[in-house]
Amino acid sequence: MNIKLDEPIFEVENLVIDLYAANVSVRAVDGCSFSVYPGETLAIVGESGSGKTVMTLGPLGLLPEGVSVDMKGIARSGDQNLIGQSEKSLAKLRGGNYGVVFQDPISALNPMKRIGPQLASQVFRLTGASKEKSKEIALDLLRRTGIPDPVDRYTRYPHEMSGGMLQRAMIALALAGRPRILIADEPTTALDATVQAQILELLKEIQRDENIAIVLITHDIGVVAAVADRIVILYAGRVAETGTVTEVLINPVHPYTKGLLASVPDLRAKQSELLTGIPGTPPDQSQLKPGCRFSDRCSNAIETCWQIRPTLKEIESSDGVHLVACPVEIANIKGKGNA
Amino acid sequence: MSKLILRRIILAIGLIIVASALTFSIIAAAPGNVAALIAERKAGPSASAELVQQIAEELGLNDPLPMRYGRWFSDAIRGDLGDSLRTGKSIDQEFSERIPITAILLGGGGIIAFVMSLGIGLLGAVSNGRTVDHLLRAFALIGASTPNFFVAALLVIVFSVSLGWLPAFGGGSFVSWIMPCVTIALFPGSVLSRVVRVNLQEIMSRPFATTGFAKGYSRSSVLIYEALPNIAVPYLTTFGAQFTLMIIGSIVVETVFALNGIGAFFIEAIRFRDFISMQATLLLFIVFFVFVNLFVDIVCLFIDPRIRRETHG
Ligand SMILES: Nc1ncnc2c1ncn2[C@@H]1O[C@H](COP(=O)(O)OP(=O)(O)OP(=O)(O)O)[C@@H](O)[C@H]1O
Ligand SMILES: [Mg+2]
Repeated sequence: MNIKLDEPIFEVENLVIDLYAANVSVRAVDGCSFSVYPGETLAIVGESGSGKTVMTLGPLGLLPEGVSVDMKGIARSGDQNLIGQSEKSLAKLRGGNYGVVFQDPISALNPMKRIGPQLASQVFRLTGASKEKSKEIALDLLRRTGIPDPVDRYTRYPHEMSGGMLQRAMIALALAGRPRILIADEPTTALDATVQAQILELLKEIQRDENIAIVLITHDIGVVAAVADRIVILYAGRVAETGTVTEVLINPVHPYTKGLLASVPDLRAKQSELLTGIPGTPPDQSQLKPGCRFSDRCSNAIETCWQIRPTLKEIESSDGVHLVACPVEIANIKGKGNA
Repeated sequence: MSKLILRRIILAIGLIIVASALTFSIIAAAPGNVAALIAERKAGPSASAELVQQIAEELGLNDPLPMRYGRWFSDAIRGDLGDSLRTGKSIDQEFSERIPITAILLGGGGIIAFVMSLGIGLLGAVSNGRTVDHLLRAFALIGASTPNFFVAALLVIVFSVSLGWLPAFGGGSFVSWIMPCVTIALFPGSVLSRVVRVNLQEIMSRPFATTGFAKGYSRSSVLIYEALPNIAVPYLTTFGAQFTLMIIGSIVVETVFALNGIGAFFIEAIRFRDFISMQATLLLFIVFFVFVNLFVDIVCLFIDPRIRRETHG
């Protein structure tokens, strides 16, 4: 495989996604950039509705039907820009190159078809192997994802398997085309805690073996800390902060990131310490206002926060590149540094 | 599974008994006296009251209603449906001559409705929101709201009278069946095409459809390979209902195209107040309704893995 490790396998630049449904239009993604490298896990974190799914699956053309989508910007993989491709060529690009794992495996697999044949037909389609060989490969994939008794599971329907087993089958399906990048949209949210850990372990294991890049969408900071290398914090369709997980979790700078981390239950904390949430609600994204989108909920906001849109600026970091979109906090840090 | 099927069969038989008892009592309560009709036929309009009484006594018409129903139903099970008051022929014989005609009409109509609904529904879903989709929707709406007799008249005017391509009367060669079958298929075909279209639309927003896209399928492949198998159960259920309704359509269509089927027989029975034939035909309709729906139910049990597997053993 001649993939350069220092080149991103998937790179999004200045992505803007407008959704039009019925009579409302929403700017779900507003000028986001991120990239993911072979062998690393990029976590995308943000509140519900912040645009995590739209930002990652939108460029692949995987948004639900019924909304019309307008995309601008670049989503590059190799020398291909996914934005602006016709539906047909995008479909061709998707198959095999991008593995996708969804939140709820029971609804993400076809209820009318047995697990094995769903998998084997995908192998057959993508690899061009014979029918018998495809079945063998499908069984191997089931085995590979740690499904016990794969020969029996092969003939099962989705409703006959547990959530954890189904998510493994879903991962097997995503791996059928030997993708270089795996996008997992909250892959463990619908599963119970012990199964969650097993699925995350499986993803890491696959990553180690195949040097695959993983984009992991989650709300769970615990999951991020456990498996991710870098993190993108999304707020209302914009990147608030990004950097390596160690750097961002230890030295959060953006007030939103700080709030997000403060709202994580800490098992070591004394019971008397109350969990702090972030006051207020996310802004209505159908009404575009100037300035920082977090300003209405931010305790540090100054007048210019409502007027000038903050841009991502690099700050001093002990580990990798650390970008923050908050001029107020950046000025604070600089102030402290000079004092 | 077999328990489930057995339960459906018992239910079906119960339904036949209840529904036929209901129609029997309604017809018995209808104005007009069978005995008087028979007497009139025998002795002319001046038939005496004694003759009417005598005939009523012979036919057991003075017995209480449940007894009359029991007698009629047990005769019917043994294959004796009585004689037509109008023609004097046995109804069994009428049925054996007429059922094949109606069977061809409904069979042909059913096939047309099936092909038409899947074709229109799928094409509409493929061309999602574009002009073709709107045109097909308009066509289905017109098809579902135009009465049979009007469709028949229109077809006859265009294809028989103006163009001279098709005979105006059915029942002969293959081509003579085209217009009757198309007429009777238009309504169910239109309704079913909407069922296909709407259900496909709903399924395309399910997560497994998105998985289909993620696998690299084009939209039409997702529609055919992922969505279509999932509409089988709602489609077949509606198809069963629409197919049974076609027997009602046959009343008009057979009359318009001069076909001597069951529908025409029923309308003649009504016109001549032939209560015996009416009862027999209604029983036939009920049996047809119940058995088509029973068949569809059982097929659906086999198609849907969720039902099939859970009810194992
Ligand atoms: N089908 C849709 N119709 C209309 N608006 C939508 C649709 N899907 C998403 N949106 C809008 O796009 C924005 C981003 O949604 P998205 O699903 O990406 O959020 P998310 O961060 O993935 O949330 P969650 O954590 O709940 O999955 C939301 O503000 C939402 O209002
Ligand atoms: Mg989401």
